[in-house]
Amino acid sequence: MTEHSLWRFSRALHRAINDRQYEDLQGLIDEDVDWAVYGPIDMFPFFGARHGKAAVLEVIRQVAENVRVHRFDRESIMLGVDSASSMMRYSLTALDSNKPISLRLAQFAQFRAGRLSSIRILVDTFDLVEQALGRPIHLPRIAS
Amino acid sequence: MIENLHRQRVLNFLDMFSNGDLEAALSRCTDDIEFFSNAPIDILPHMGLRHGKADLLDMWKTVHARYSNMRYEIPILIAEGDQVAANIRAFFRKRSNDRVVQFDIATFYTLREGRIARIREIMDTFDLVAQVLERDLAALLAATGPDKT
Repeated sequence: MTEHSLWRFSRALHRAINDRQYEDLQGLIDEDVDWAVYGPIDMFPFFGARHGKAAVLEVIRQVAENVRVHRFDRESIMLGVDSASSMMRYSLTALDSNKPISLRLAQFAQFRAGRLSSIRILVDTFDLVEQALGRPIHLPRIAS
Repeated sequence: MIENLHRQRVLNFLDMFSNGDLEAALSRCTDDIEFFSNAPIDILPHMGLRHGKADLLDMWKTVHARYSNMRYEIPILIAEGDQVAANIRAFFRKRSNDRVVQFDIATFYTLREGRIARIREIMDTFDLVAQVLERDLAALLAATGPDKT
């Protein structure tokens, strides 16, 4: 039984982020890939949309320069023929401040011929910003 | 395949909810339905963890009281076994001023005996709060500096 493309991509991505080894990842990304991480790009420049393999590898390099992955747990995972979706909890360290960050995210990935052709990542960004600031953001409640 | 059936069940459920037929949507859920959205509950107190039909209906009524029109696009829907994951693009029109809040949600459904038993959501909450409050939060944080916002 062939291994699902998600597992190869996931291993290569974590190796790229933690060890800055990009060789495995390069072969697992489609030239025409669409990449999007939803979030405030003025606070986290490595969020946002990228198109094409070179741009995606570059943004993964930026992520690697900013965080280290300590642990991740998949809360849910679904595998389609050429697609996958998962909900995950990450424990990271922000490299500039050495602060621990706990992150919840969901990803929807699509693969073509075993290579990543599209990925959308949604992050609990309000919580992430508060952790990055090191304090809660006080805003008015909108309802009781 | 059970996946196709579950996929259609989730689509039907979303149609009922967006059309305001809350009782019908609720009938597609188990009695012990568990809902969790990662929204900041000090700002959006109706979100967070909800358990059971009455609790869920209470939250849905709050949402429908605030928005006059709801529309969804579902660019990605993946099903495996008793689970369905949907990337939902939601468009909610505010009753207060007719402005439309647009946001993407990752929603993960777990079904049991044909009914939805668990819903988990993750969304770009920073952007959602900014749209709901109609404030540029990033600019506000930059302007107020540390410990002021």
